Amino acid sequence: MRSKSQTTLLRTVGLHAVLVPLALIWLFPIWMMIVFSTQPENAIFSSNLVLLPSDQFANNFALLQADTGFLRTVFVSIVVATVYTVVSVFLTSMAGWALARYNFAGKGVVLAIILGTLTLPYFVVVIPQFIMVARDFGLGNTWFALIVPPLFNSLGVLFMRQSFSMMPGELFDAARVEGVKEWQIFLRVALPMARPTIAALCIILFLASWNNYLWPLLINNRPDMMTAPVALGSLIGLTRVSWGGIMTGAVVLTLPMLFAFVVLQRHFVAGIAAGAIK
Amino acid sequence: MRATTRTAYGFLTPYLLIFAAFWVWPIIYSFYLSFLSTRVQPWTFNPTFNWGRLIIDPAFFNAFKNTMIILVIQVPVMIALATLLAVLLNSHLLKARGIMRFAFFAPVVVGEVAYAAVFRLMFQADFGVINKLLALVGVAPISWSSNPTAAMALIITAVTWRWVGYNAIIILSGLQSIPEDVYEAATLDKVSKTRQFFFITLPLLRPIILVCVVLSVIGTMQLFAEPFLITNRGGPGGATETLGLFLYRQGFTVLNFGYASAVAYTIAAIAIVISVINFWLGRDPK
Amino acid sequence: MSGVTLSNVQKRFGAVEVIHGVDLTVDDGEFVVFVGPSGCGKSTLLRMIAGLEDISGGEISIGGTTVNDVEPADRGIAMVFQSYALYPHMTVEQNLSFGLRMNGKPRDDIARRVTKAASILQIEPLLARRPKQLSGGQRQRVAIGRAIVREPDVFLFDEPLSNLDAELRVQMRVEIARLHKELGTTMIYVTHDQTEAMTLADKIVVLRDGRVEQVGAPLDLYDDPANRFVAGFVGSPRMNFMAAKVVDTTPGSVTIETDNHGSARLTLPVRQAFQTGDAVTLGIRPEHFGGPDGDGTRLTVNVDVAEHLGATSFVYANMATGEQLIIEREQSRSEMGKTELTITIPPARAYLFDSAGDRIR
Ligand SMILES: Nc1ncnc2c1ncn2[C@@H]1O[C@H](COP(=O)(O)OP(=O)(O)O)[C@@H](O)[C@H]1O
Ligand SMILES: [Mg+2]
Repeated sequence: MRSKSQTTLLRTVGLHAVLVPLALIWLFPIWMMIVFSTQPENAIFSSNLVLLPSDQFANNFALLQADTGFLRTVFVSIVVATVYTVVSVFLTSMAGWALARYNFAGKGVVLAIILGTLTLPYFVVVIPQFIMVARDFGLGNTWFALIVPPLFNSLGVLFMRQSFSMMPGELFDAARVEGVKEWQIFLRVALPMARPTIAALCIILFLASWNNYLWPLLINNRPDMMTAPVALGSLIGLTRVSWGGIMTGAVVLTLPMLFAFVVLQRHFVAGIAAGAIK
Repeated sequence: MRATTRTAYGFLTPYLLIFAAFWVWPIIYSFYLSFLSTRVQPWTFNPTFNWGRLIIDPAFFNAFKNTMIILVIQVPVMIALATLLAVLLNSHLLKARGIMRFAFFAPVVVGEVAYAAVFRLMFQADFGVINKLLALVGVAPISWSSNPTAAMALIITAVTWRWVGYNAIIILSGLQSIPEDVYEAATLDKVSKTRQFFFITLPLLRPIILVCVVLSVIGTMQLFAEPFLITNRGGPGGATETLGLFLYRQGFTVLNFGYASAVAYTIAAIAIVISVINFWLGRDPK
Repeated sequence: MSGVTLSNVQKRFGAVEVIHGVDLTVDDGEFVVFVGPSGCGKSTLLRMIAGLEDISGGEISIGGTTVNDVEPADRGIAMVFQSYALYPHMTVEQNLSFGLRMNGKPRDDIARRVTKAASILQIEPLLARRPKQLSGGQRQRVAIGRAIVREPDVFLFDEPLSNLDAELRVQMRVEIARLHKELGTTMIYVTHDQTEAMTLADKIVVLRDGRVEQVGAPLDLYDDPANRFVAGFVGSPRMNFMAAKVVDTTPGSVTIETDNHGSARLTLPVRQAFQTGDAVTLGIRPEHFGGPDGDGTRLTVNVDVAEHLGATSFVYANMATGEQLIIEREQSRSEMGKTELTITIPPARAYLFDSAGDRIR
């Protein structure tokens, strides 16, 4: 019989023999994104195997900027994602608060509609959304079109509702007895207590908006109101476009999120897990 | 109206207005649209126009077939891999846990466009790094963009790369909610690690894996950006055309909103049916 | 300062009625304890007084004004909750002042009230801490402090000590009694613990299933319970109940015979008329049994277990029918190890209950 420490050693070796190569494979595309973004065009399209970064990032980015006015689109993306996140956090936490802590006429119906339609594919609504916003309202290429329609997302409502309903009710009763108004209870007691949940929600919402592709693609065709993913996507498949440039765009879109992910991993993970489980 | 009801709707109304305008109403409107002939103005009511076309449209069936192929191969492979990863990443023997998790979870934050661009470049037939690496081990260059099977494999690979970590996070959170003492008791009973996995871990994870499957099915039914960007709008020759892409074309290239709505509802119906079947197959045996 | 009056107060949750018409008067400055088993509606009643639950029927008035439709904050009450309900993200000082600040009270007034409450409860050194950094007893003090700063006419407590360990509970109990003496304010206190009720109350309200079983001073309830439920609830260990039958009646008295314990016979003075053969229940408290040569009916029981606590001992005697007797014995060193014990039931200490549980007098 093998001793306990031998078994543990074998297990440890086996575990890493599987995981380390897999991890390298999984990191490879992100690594290559960085490599390509720093290589000159002739190195990318040469027959040599290029696996290490070079120093051409600035040049490549200048090419991208010339192709699309990329900086402006990044600015649009930042504004859209930020405003969307802030507004959505407020809307969904207010709604989540109401659904968690009040008994009111119609509550069951509201919840049933939200839950019942949650798993419907987005494609079911995207066509009417487009018709309404672009044709009926004539609001294509506007901040409104980029920010407001995606606010329907109900995951935040359920997420916040869950968080609020786990708080002890006596806390809010205590405030009520003290004459604190309901909106003050929400703002001054409930929201501060939900801070970790809100952090997770902010991250999820910001990321979703930052990476959103289909809706901005449909609703915007003016270069100055394009979001960065749409601008970048419009280059893919064109001939005579700088692939090094495209890769710098991909890096600009990705690295800040990766950095945030490293710093806020706990909140990311909490947000994703809760989003799926509801 | 009671005071609490008034207060509650005070908090709810802003969200409900948006929700009604941009989710509930479009769901209804879209259903109505699917019964309109929208090829030419003015739109006319013609219930069989779109639905009649749908059931005989070879392009639709091509997209449907491709989507199902991706679904049947990609979802099981990805969920199995995600479960394996979650279990391995949860092991207390793991060194450099943070880096390991980062490697698999990082794709979750990479946007569709960014990763589509990288995959397209990596899998480029002539100068792509993948073919160069394959050449090192003696594999002839694969024409990822002109061979239908290779193109399909590329889509499946890309989607798996992007989403496996996401599912692993969910499964991992399920794993971490299993109390440690269950395993300690099993170890004392001389149950091997492998058996512990199959007889303790998997049954306890079933509900959460089921959620992952359903989310993945819904996601796959809407696959759009990958075939749009990586395989150049569903190429070669429609070999990677998905339902999502087909809908996009009908709705936003041809602007045939009625037909696109019928396609959208078909996607929804298929997703729901598959989800229900999943929940039924995966239900608690008790 | 003011009293509280409840008349025919009812509460329904949907179709389920949980409070069935409660009438009660709480005098100004009185310490009233609602006591009863878990789920009997104590909290619900208290929360209706606080205004946290709507009143389904009847009327509640505080200080002579009907408050059915008055907001909690305007009822002149303050409430201390079982879970303390401290705001976790605020310091002790912010916890104490939050309600006052939200209601736009002047700064110096708030400071004065907080200082005063903190000194009454001796929590001045804790003012800068957060609830997480406090012990259970300290949290409880802060929760009480938050009630004091409101300078209410009526204090409401909902099982405030039930989350504390036994020792702290006794300590805080004494503090609350001191507080009542110091402030002289009306207090309504909910607990399921009869010891708390007995020690704190001027007046105890015993509740069961949403009804008032009896109202009275602690010792009146102990001496003169209205029914079997109150008799069993007040006093610790609880009163013994023995099934018995009427074997003889004369005007003004009745003779009964117990079903177990060797068919002991007992003659008690009662005004109520009985028939031979009627089933009754005999009640006697553990501490009221006499020794072998005491007055009254002698009874020999088989000892199952005896717990010797030092000054006193508790002897448990179980019957095959499930009836259990607990007998308190003092100075019982000589009885250690005995398997049989002879005791007496003094008729003056015995209670009779009819089959519905009502007291027979
Ligand atoms: N919000 C509610 N909805 C429905 N039933 C309730 C609610 N609150 C309390 N009850 C019921 O009312 C009864 C009394 O509860 P409560 O006043 O909390 O009892 P106690 O405080 O005496 O333990 C219980 O049966 C409880 O289940
Ligand atoms: Mg209670």
